[in-house]
Amino acid sequence: MLYRTAGQFKTSYKADQALFPIRQDAILLGLILAFAWVILPLTASEFVFQTLMIPILIYALAAMGLNILTGYAGQLSLGTAAFMGVGAYACYKMVTLMPWMNPILAILLSGVFSAGVGVAFGIPSLRIKGFYLAIATLAAQFFLVWLFEKWAWLYNYNASGAIQVPNLDIFGIYVAGPQASSVTQYFVVLGIVSLLTLLCINLTRGNLGRTWKATRDMDIAAELIGINLMKSKLTAFAVSSYVVGVSGALFVFMWRGAAEPNLFDIPLSFRILFIAIIGGLGSILGNYLGAILIVGLPVVLGTLPAALGIPVSSAMVEHLNIMIVGSLIIFFLIIEPHGLARLWALIREKLILWPFPH
Amino acid sequence: MKHVTKLAIAAVVAGFTASAAMAQELYTPNLSYRTGPFAATGIPLMNGQADYMTMLNARDGGIGGVMVNFDECETGYSTEKGAECYEKTKDKALVTQPWSTGITLQVLPKTNIDEIPILAPGYGFSPMMDGKTFQWAFNTPAGYWDAADMIVQYLEGMESLDGKKIAFLHLDHPYGKEPIPLFEQMAADKGFDLVPIPVGLKEMQNQSAQWLQIRRERPDYVVMWGWGAMNAGAITEAVKTKFPMENMLGVWWAGHDADLRIVGEDGKGYKSISWSFPNPDAPVMADIKTHVVDTGKTQSNAEEMSGVFYSRGIIISAILAEGIRVAQEHTGNAEITAADLRWGLENIDMTEERIAELGLDGMVPPFKTSCSDHTGKSGGWMLEWDGEKFVKVSDHLTPNTDAYTDLVAAKAKEYADANAPWPVNEDCGM
Repeated sequence: MLYRTAGQFKTSYKADQALFPIRQDAILLGLILAFAWVILPLTASEFVFQTLMIPILIYALAAMGLNILTGYAGQLSLGTAAFMGVGAYACYKMVTLMPWMNPILAILLSGVFSAGVGVAFGIPSLRIKGFYLAIATLAAQFFLVWLFEKWAWLYNYNASGAIQVPNLDIFGIYVAGPQASSVTQYFVVLGIVSLLTLLCINLTRGNLGRTWKATRDMDIAAELIGINLMKSKLTAFAVSSYVVGVSGALFVFMWRGAAEPNLFDIPLSFRILFIAIIGGLGSILGNYLGAILIVGLPVVLGTLPAALGIPVSSAMVEHLNIMIVGSLIIFFLIIEPHGLARLWALIREKLILWPFPH
Repeated sequence: MKHVTKLAIAAVVAGFTASAAMAQELYTPNLSYRTGPFAATGIPLMNGQADYMTMLNARDGGIGGVMVNFDECETGYSTEKGAECYEKTKDKALVTQPWSTGITLQVLPKTNIDEIPILAPGYGFSPMMDGKTFQWAFNTPAGYWDAADMIVQYLEGMESLDGKKIAFLHLDHPYGKEPIPLFEQMAADKGFDLVPIPVGLKEMQNQSAQWLQIRRERPDYVVMWGWGAMNAGAITEAVKTKFPMENMLGVWWAGHDADLRIVGEDGKGYKSISWSFPNPDAPVMADIKTHVVDTGKTQSNAEEMSGVFYSRGIIISAILAEGIRVAQEHTGNAEITAADLRWGLENIDMTEERIAELGLDGMVPPFKTSCSDHTGKSGGWMLEWDGEKFVKVSDHLTPNTDAYTDLVAAKAKEYADANAPWPVNEDCGM
């Protein structure tokens, strides 16, 4: 009923290949976007921005970057956090060396550096595959974090070894640093994330995305039908690292405000990998769903006992939280091993057929 | 996504309205870490802090007649959770107790905007002692640079350091790097050789490479800036390599009883500088026993309560309570605001008499804060492990802060410039 597709005729290839061939999808997305762009900024508190919306969006973006590499091109990577670090440090160096630079431009440019580093570490993927490649990306993870610690120029010879985001403004409005308001930062994050999501959707639907998928499904077959594997794999590394690098810059500049090298260590890589796997490899929507489950849900669960007036100690809440989120992850993986995105796809399919399932 | 955020909004709104309906109270949240890799060191500190406030509530009905709501928000020592806790509590909190250098660094720039004092006793950013620049941050009663100065003073008290070699074993983290600028300055002044040896976060438990280097370098002393699992790792490694324990000294966070109990007798002679000391005979301990332990309100146990860290927790809460009391007396209002508390923390005068009045005899050295001095220069004592517990082996040491006021001013200015516009306290004439 809600998802009735009857009467939606396509009379040209262009219409058939549109981003939303089914009208209800577009309406649903429109509602979500209206909520994110208009309703939420008017109603939500700073707490919601700082602990739910901004981190969910940034983590979803990072997972999207990883998903392009792992989900679409089939190259398993364990170095996501290090590439985020490259983006963050590049952005920090740019805004401190060139304070006149527009911070949003700096964030978007910082991805270029991580794309370069990503391609360099992607070269082994031409010869090695699967778990062996994962080990090679693990080398990137350890090497880059070590570099962030030892190369003092990166953090401007700061005694504490950490980078601290300065106050940055665009036309007199602070967008980064302690003076920036949460709503402004939220809009910047939402804008950049929306832009890159649109880019990723179209890239994965297009020619490049198809060569990635062919590489993922069987690289020898892909080579036989004329796909240049080197180009396919290295573009996947470049695009993926670009997106991850931008998310790293956002992570530090729009949310954390300060970062020490070990922030970009392997636990962060795993966290992003979990978001991508639980959300669904090879999907864009999955990254958002995964980020909501892994990043957003613990925050909501943590506020529940206090809101309901249940007297439990905060340490107990934390223990319960870990148990509940852990079992939910197992639950979702059992009912749908292909991730939350696939779960939504099944629900949507059922809705389209409803009330006449076959 | 819609659903989750709505739920969150509802939860937050419900939380705020519920608390607004409550009676008047002093809300002093603590960003505790009773879970995670650092829990072993966190729990005694958190218990000490909580028990002192519970005792005040039970014995005196709070501070100035207003009950203290000493809420805990669990961070697990994670910076991410810490920032979340800060956002969660900041609307009505009088104070932020961030409890990790990472969280402190994160919260510090926000304090000028949110105007909530940070109380970071004995940790955080050393230049925070410059109260003019860091109006809202307090590392009362002593900072890391004070610790470094006192350790060097203590060593100099025994013999000249000229030509000696000191290995500086530290956590490769903002916390461990904090005293390096001062050590370098002192090495140049006093003619000793400084060998910094970093311990990565991943190597905390296995420090064989670092101790191999120590054996090769043959330092006269090892000064340790460790935390969590690193301390136990270093102490056991030192025992294993037969490094003379009496030549190994640590900062106050490296003086945890449980870390030394692992090696017991072999750890004899290990020293740690400290601005707090457990005194089981102090009146405050008796009060905690009657009002908290006997009524079953504590999470602690007898062994933990005799340790250095538990008593440090008590001192931290006592500093906060004293700040609140001073603020109440100054404003004549029992229900103070965060700005009042800042005034209170800037005007603490812990004299020997006041320490005795509070029943903290021998547990903390006297100190006095002002608008320009947010540390208070308490100084401290050198504690030594006698095989079973820590005992005082020095008189009251006071840091020679004049030697590094220039360094403090330079670093504070550097921070303020990097975070421009950074408002400083212009009214402070001291």
